[in-house]
Amino acid sequence: MPTKQAPTRQAITLKGSTNLVTEFFKYAVNTILFQRGVYPSDDFHMVKKYGQTVLITQDLALENYLDKILKQVNKWLLTGSVTQLVLAIISKDTRITLERWVFDVNLVEQEQDTAEPRQPKPESEIQAEIRYILKQIVSTVTFLPIMDEPTVFNILAYTSESADIPADEWVDTDPLAIEASKSQQVKLRSFSTDVHRIEAMVAYRYEG
Amino acid sequence: MEGKKFVTPANRSSRLPSASARSSAMKRDSLTAELERGEWRPEQATAKRQQRSQAFTSTIAQSSFERQLATAKAAKIDLEKRLREKDAIIEGLERDRRWLHERAEEEKQAKEQEMAEHEEAKTKYDKELRALRDSYRDLQEEHVDLKEQHEQLSRSTSSTIASQKTRISTLERQVETLESELQEFKRLADERSREVQEAQERMEDLSIANESFSRENLEEENWAVVREELHRQANYMRTLEATNAKLNQEVHALRERYTSVEVLREEKRGMEAKLRALEPLREKVVRLEAEVEAARKEREDWATKNASSSPSQTPVSVTQSLSALRMEHARLLEEHGATVALLHQREKELADSESSRKDQRETIDKLQSEVRVLKDIVNRKEQKVTLAEREVGFLQALLASYTAEDAAQEGAKPDEIQTQRIQHLEALLADYKSRIAELEKEITEGGGRLQNGPSRKELADALRAVQEEKLQAQKALEEAESANAQLEEKHEHVEQALFELRGEVGGGRHVPPGTRVLALRDNPAQQWADTRQAVLDRLKAENEALLARLKELEERGVVSGGEGEEKRESFVPRESWEAVSREKEELLAEVRKKEKLYIRLKEVYTKKTAEFREALSSILGIKLAFYPNGSVRVTSQYDLNASFVFQPTSAENGQATMQLVAQGADVPVDIEGMLQFWVLERNCIPGFLASVTLECYDRWERGGGNAAGAQ
Repeated sequence: MPTKQAPTRQAITLKGSTNLVTEFFKYAVNTILFQRGVYPSDDFHMVKKYGQTVLITQDLALENYLDKILKQVNKWLLTGSVTQLVLAIISKDTRITLERWVFDVNLVEQEQDTAEPRQPKPESEIQAEIRYILKQIVSTVTFLPIMDEPTVFNILAYTSESADIPADEWVDTDPLAIEASKSQQVKLRSFSTDVHRIEAMVAYRYEG
Repeated sequence: MEGKKFVTPANRSSRLPSASARSSAMKRDSLTAELERGEWRPEQATAKRQQRSQAFTSTIAQSSFERQLATAKAAKIDLEKRLREKDAIIEGLERDRRWLHERAEEEKQAKEQEMAEHEEAKTKYDKELRALRDSYRDLQEEHVDLKEQHEQLSRSTSSTIASQKTRISTLERQVETLESELQEFKRLADERSREVQEAQERMEDLSIANESFSRENLEEENWAVVREELHRQANYMRTLEATNAKLNQEVHALRERYTSVEVLREEKRGMEAKLRALEPLREKVVRLEAEVEAARKEREDWATKNASSSPSQTPVSVTQSLSALRMEHARLLEEHGATVALLHQREKELADSESSRKDQRETIDKLQSEVRVLKDIVNRKEQKVTLAEREVGFLQALLASYTAEDAAQEGAKPDEIQTQRIQHLEALLADYKSRIAELEKEITEGGGRLQNGPSRKELADALRAVQEEKLQAQKALEEAESANAQLEEKHEHVEQALFELRGEVGGGRHVPPGTRVLALRDNPAQQWADTRQAVLDRLKAENEALLARLKELEERGVVSGGEGEEKRESFVPRESWEAVSREKEELLAEVRKKEKLYIRLKEVYTKKTAEFREALSSILGIKLAFYPNGSVRVTSQYDLNASFVFQPTSAENGQATMQLVAQGADVPVDIEGMLQFWVLERNCIPGFLASVTLECYDRWERGGGNAAGAQ
């Protein structure tokens, strides 16, 4: 019986983990957009999440945009075809990429041959890890260069070649790279569920 | 009609129609009249007629001209009038136009105002919408909170209800047990009271009997005391009964009020307190019972003993015996204490002796080992002694043999050698002995330590092996540590490289193979770009429309006003004027620069051309002149008449060749022959030129003086 039980538990975990990761992206993107001033702070309102207050946008267009992206990302996560999500902040006037917030999506290796199933990670622990990442995003304001020009953002998804892509909505695009000689990067914390491991990083343009 | 008589047939035909025309408008002038008055001469008549007809025609022409003038004037007046009307109409139309324009302006303003209001209202509504959404969210959150609270409250109430139910049930059980206890107590109290009554009755009977038996004062007093005591007890029993009844009532009250849990609890506590108060009473009852029993016994004793002895003696004896017994008991206790103390002391002694025994055993062991060692030593000594004795015996025997020999040989030789030898041997002996002693000592020292284990050598070997092993292990450890350090360093490098590569990927400069970078088609960045493009396009269109409008206005200005020149200037916007003039300035500067460059190039070119020509003339002896159509005139330096013009023709093989197209006016005849030979037959222009140069040089040298002129 345990052999029969294991897969069902795992399937549930994959879906749950996917939902958790998607939700995390939503809050992370909102936090970045608020903290980096891409949208005016009046557009955001506070909600309680992960045991802390998180700011969420009220801009309908932005909400729709994020919803659309997150729905697709959720599908890709279920099939395991997305490897990276990038939030790029771009200058409105010069169209130069100023910051790239990178979220690496890794699948956690499952040990198949172990006799007893691994102890599932408690949700409280995962939430604590997510909380740390969000706090770290907030604290990056202290070292990231100040952006005094109007900016706009874009979200890029790095997917495998074989991924299922709705052609009328998604298009291949330029990776919005930052010039190598002016690029700096800082690794942020990471979090993991039983299925996914998300590693965060911010690369930014710095003209020292 | 008066001149009818002068009319000639000749001119009648010509004059009649004109007379009718002249009748009303024309008057005869004086000349005509004079002529008519004078004598009529036929030679003059024709001239006069001619003159008259001429005058007539001129007057007619004049009148017709006048008429034309009049009609033209009338037409002019009419046209002027019409023009004025037209002007008035134009003015009216202009007014209308202005009025309409004003209307349009007003309308536009009104529309703008409306738009502004609309915008305001829109922003307001947006704000309201946002606020409402906020409040909606808040309310939702509140709703969720309230739901949670409600659930919590319902859970807590249900749990409290359950707990209270259980408490009620336990309390009920307690009440039941208490009731049962109470009833038992009541029963007990009843029994007691019955017993007491019985005892009283019996006592009364006994007192009666007692009275009958003896009337002694002491006895009576005793009885009185006993009776009093009994009365007191009875009273006490009665109060007990009363309290019992009260308790009963209270129990009833409790049963009535047991619905209210808190009160019941209080009551229960009260009851418990009361029960606690009852406990000593119960004890008292028991004691009293015992007392009663004792009293009864005593009385029986008295009753039995009454005949023989007085009742007062018995207690004394009893007390005496009791005191004796007590004394005995105390003494026994004391003895017991003493024995216990003694026992403890003994035990301690025993422990001491045990420990001392252990010590002694240890010392015995130690001594035994010492004894063993000493025995060994003694054995060895004994052996040594026996050895020494044997040696001594041997030496004595040797000595005896020597002496015997000596005696045999009659001792002629001195004893010196022998004594020397003996001394030598003795010294040797002493050496040996000391050596043996040393060895023995060593053995005892070493042997004491290694009594029962592997031998010293084995141990030393093992130790050496272990030390070697240790050294090896240390070496291996050091190696492993250094390798570890190296690996750590490598690891650090690799980590750094990994971090940098991650940065490459994170910075978007590297896309991993087999990966696609996708973005939503309708993303904010794209939207921004689109809107920007749209704004730009719109501005462009607007600009074009404005330019068109300007042109239109300009044209109309030319049509309507005479001062078109000034008006046209005012139509050009200042910005575009400035832009154009700036552009013009830039272009002018560019032109100046280009001109300078051009001049410089020209200078260089002419200089180079001069050099080139000079070089050609001095090396090849020919002068070259280039024409703008590409043809070249070649003139020999030695004969200015020998000049040929060549024109480039593109050959089939892609190589440009020259073709002779003309030649000088008076080319020498022999040169023509050369031309025939070189150009037409051999098709070799350089050869032809070379032979021409040679020929001309020959001639020039022959000519001598001409050459200077030619040059």
